[in-house]
Formats: sequence, structure tokens, C-alpha cells
Amino acid sequence: MAQMWITMGPQHPMTHGLWTLRVKVDGETVVDTEAELGYIHRGVEKICEARDFTQITPYCDRLCYVSAMTWANSYIYAAEDLLEADVPERAEYIRLISAEIQRLASHLMWLGAFGPDIGNLTLMTWCMRDREMFLDLLQELGGSRMHYNYPRIGGVKRDMPIGFADRVIAKTKLFEKRLDEYEMMLDESTIWLVRLQGVGYATAESMVDAGVSGPNVRAAGVNYDVRWAHPYSVYDEIDWEPSVEKPTSVKGADCYDRYRVRMEEMRQSCRMVLDALNKIPGGKNTNYANGDEMIFTKAPTRAPEGATGFSNYECTRGASQFYVQGGGESRGKNPYRVSIRSPMFLTIPYVAKTMIGYKIADIPAIMGSFDPCIGETDR
Amino acid sequence: MVGSITPEQNASAAEACLAAINDRFGGSGIESSIQNHSNDKKYAFVRIVCPPQHWIALAKWMKYDLSVNYCSMVTGTHFPDGSPERGWEVAYHFLRQPIQDQKPNTCTVHDVEKLSGMDIPMEFEVFMPLPQGDSPTVPSIQSIWVGADWNEKETWDLVGIKFEGHVNMHRVLNPNDSPEGFHPLQKQHKLRYHDHNEMYDDPQGFMRKPADEGRIK
Repeated sequence: MAQMWITMGPQHPMTHGLWTLRVKVDGETVVDTEAELGYIHRGVEKICEARDFTQITPYCDRLCYVSAMTWANSYIYAAEDLLEADVPERAEYIRLISAEIQRLASHLMWLGAFGPDIGNLTLMTWCMRDREMFLDLLQELGGSRMHYNYPRIGGVKRDMPIGFADRVIAKTKLFEKRLDEYEMMLDESTIWLVRLQGVGYATAESMVDAGVSGPNVRAAGVNYDVRWAHPYSVYDEIDWEPSVEKPTSVKGADCYDRYRVRMEEMRQSCRMVLDALNKIPGGKNTNYANGDEMIFTKAPTRAPEGATGFSNYECTRGASQFYVQGGGESRGKNPYRVSIRSPMFLTIPYVAKTMIGYKIADIPAIMGSFDPCIGETDR
Repeated sequence: MVGSITPEQNASAAEACLAAINDRFGGSGIESSIQNHSNDKKYAFVRIVCPPQHWIALAKWMKYDLSVNYCSMVTGTHFPDGSPERGWEVAYHFLRQPIQDQKPNTCTVHDVEKLSGMDIPMEFEVFMPLPQGDSPTVPSIQSIWVGADWNEKETWDLVGIKFEGHVNMHRVLNPNDSPEGFHPLQKQHKLRYHDHNEMYDDPQGFMRKPADEGRIK
């Protein structure tokens, strides 16, 4: 049969955003692929050059609308590296708690979008129900549902509200039970297993060479996590273990391993949040005033010329990195250059190539299992 | 509880890398140093300043002898007001990750305290200053790290750094029909409010000027 090119996207349920996957097929089999990105390129890096260091945070929120808190945190750590800001320990704990709640919400969004890819619509309604609990918590901190603008250079915007800790504990404990329900529904579903097992193999070394990171690599059996390897925040004081999945084949991790590793990661996030609330300096039920030295330290606003700041941060999809250059007096409070590295920008071209050899019907399962997000890819 | 890399492990790995680089490339114009992040943790990383002509040799050596297996980002910067020998700069960020393929039904859970030598994760920053001019060019490392492929595409697309030897270079974030030579992160393209005082002059802005207007800040 003659081979032909099919275009999937930019409007296609598989893409989880706006991008195009061009697929060359021989019958039902994929023989070549090409990814085309850039449909929602907003020029964030250029916009950042015309903003104060503090004004950049909202733009970083909008890099990925599913995990705004982790992206804002990622920028804040780079800016603090550049401006040499001190951060109170309580603020670090609050950032950790907010980032892990965001990780829960983001993984639930992934699972809710991945379910319909596989043909399980119930999953979407369940995940959206539980994600709402965590969005409510983040709303209490940041004031809005998706874009929080919560971390500040040198601390956080405001302390945890009174009663926040109790609500976090109640909701994470409820969610830990719900995770068992999810597993009962999914791991015993033949359709789920048949669609995911043995599909979309990727080895650890090939993924690292191609720049893939985070849960996708841990699914292939390697414990590598920025949170212990390049420590930031207070992860070294918290009780947790990175989730690592044993791959079932020499060909590496399949879609099922990537699903399992994210389920375990949600458990670890619950564990971290609960433990951090126990250990937080100043107590979990205290509410310090805005700008109190327990949650905020005033930071310099201008960076000297030639100074650079870099952060390597475990975002929900892998390692997100910011590289910020200071501009000296001529640039005022603005940076000279902000460079953003999104984990998905390198993952999507890699995933496109791993599809070769599988059937057209496997494409949504493979793509969905890597958790694509186009907002952060195109910037 | 998982342990984190300790400052001692981090410092010893950075020093070992620095010594290895100086041993291999000392006197060739490649300058390396240990820097510390200024955050709480003060973790060390290795910064290398490399002239473009030595880049391929250094890159291959880093990949195969220093186990630097992860090319995480490539950043180009335009300095139109810089010195004649530094009109452009390419900054590469690499990570060393202790990762290997797993046999079926096994997984590596690192005992962090026992990691040593080449297994300690380390961060590398390579700066490559380029002279003023219209065509900044560096050799491509696409064939050394697969991850550098799309990073270099992006850097050419947005900043206009040419990567010599890069196969299949094309626009990734800008539209495919963007005019030739249009690279939006070059500094001659200015956004509204590019200069930090401009917004105060703008009728739609704040309609006020800061008290220290005109003074050096």
C-alpha cells in the first residue's frame, strides 16, 4: 500500500493544545512523524525584558495554566539567585506546600484528560471533581482559581489563611482514599490495560539524551529528581521518597509505567504536604501579617550588569529552568534577558519519534501519557 | 526519607570536574571556575568560558569523559552595546545525571549518601562570547546531544545565532514564513515600554513620573 502523510492537529483531541503532528503512515502503521510547534507563541521572553523583576511573575503563571504555581516558583528561584535575596524558612515551607498542591491539581488534570484519550470518560468527571478541591485551596492562597501570582522575590504574598491547614489536611486525607478508588477503577479495567501496556516504549538513556525529564524518566526505572539532586527549597527536611516505576521490558517504560509513576507521585505529594504542615516554623495555624519577616524579606530590585541567575526546578512535567541576566543601570529594574526552558519543548519532538512503529490508534495513548502542555512549550 | 546531595558531595564533585577540565584543556583558552548559587543552599556549579573554535572538542570530552549526559538549555543573548569581542553570547546549561537503562523489573533508587565521583549530579554552564557582527556563528552540537537539536533550532529562530553543521534547521516558534533575518529577541526590535521609564511618558500609562526621573538609578 502507498504511504501517505496525515496531519493530526492543530485541532485534534490528541494534541491537548495547539500543535500539529504530521504522521506518515503505511496502512495503519506509523512510519515517520514530524512535530510542528509555535501556534501559541506569545513572546514571553521578549515581554519579560520590558518588565520589572516583580512584574514578570504573572507572565510565568501563564506559561502553563495547569501548573501556574510551580512555574511562578521556578522563576522566583532564578530571580532570587540573581538578586541575592534571602528567603525566610516559613516562606519556603509555604512555597513547598503550594507547589505540591499544584502538582496534585496538575496530575489530576493530566489524568482527567488522559482518560478520554483511552475511552474512559468517567475518569474525567472524577478527576475534575477532585481537582476542584485543590484549586479551592490554591485560591485561598493566591486569590484566583488558576493564575495565582503568589510567590514573591524574597517570600510569599501573604501567609496561609486561618483554617487553611485544617482544610488541606482534610482534603489530602480524603484524596488519598480517592486515589485507591481510581486504582480500583483503572488497574482492573481490561480496556485500560490493553490500551496502555506494551505501547510507547522509551528507554531511560534515550530520554535523557533527548532532554526528557521528570516523571517520564522516573517511569523508566531511574530515580532522578531535581528535588534531591539539585536541592532547592526545604525538600531535604521533609519526609518523602521519589516515585520510581519498575519497567517491564528492556525497551524501557511503556504508557502504563508513566501512568503508574504519576499516581505514586500524587501519593508522595500528599505525604509531603501533610509532613510540611507539621514541620512548618511558626506553626500551621498562625497567620502572620503581609510583609512580616516570617514570610517576606525585602529583596534588592536592581541587578548589576553581567550578573546571572539560574534555577532548576522540578515542575509537574519535568525540570523547568530559568536563566536570567541582569542589565545594570541602563536597564533599571528590568532584566537584560530572560530565557525559559520548558521540559515539554524537548519532550514533544522526542515523543513524536517514539510513535514510529505503532498503530495510528496508539498515538493518543502515547502522546497523552507524556502529559503534554502547549502553553509552556510555545511560551 | 530520601537524602539530598550534601554540600560536601556537591563541592567535591565541582572541584573534581574543575581539576579534570584544567588538566585536559589548561592553557588552550578555555577558562573554568567554580561558582556558587546565591540562594540559601549556596550550591556550587562549574562555569566554563570557551572560545568557539574549541567548542566541539570540549563538548565531546564533556559528554564522553565527564558523563555530562543532559543538554538542558541553550540561550543566545545580543549585546549591541557590548565590547567588540562580545557582541553576542551563547550560554549552554548542562546537567550530569546518574542515569542508565534498567533491566526489566528493576529500578535504581539512589542511596544519595553513597553517590560519589561521576555519579554526583552536577550543573555546568558554558559561555561562548562572540564578536560583534551580523552573523554570529558557533559550531553545532546537535550530533553530540540529541537534546541540543531543538534547543539550537529555538536559539536560531529567536536570537539569530547560526549553528554551523546543524542539519534540518527551521523555524520552530515563529511562523514558517517569517522574513529571512527576522529574529525577535535581537535588541533592535523593541517592545513598547522597552525602556523602563517609557511607561511613565505614555498617555495610557500611569500619567506620572517617578521622583528620581533623570537621575542614575
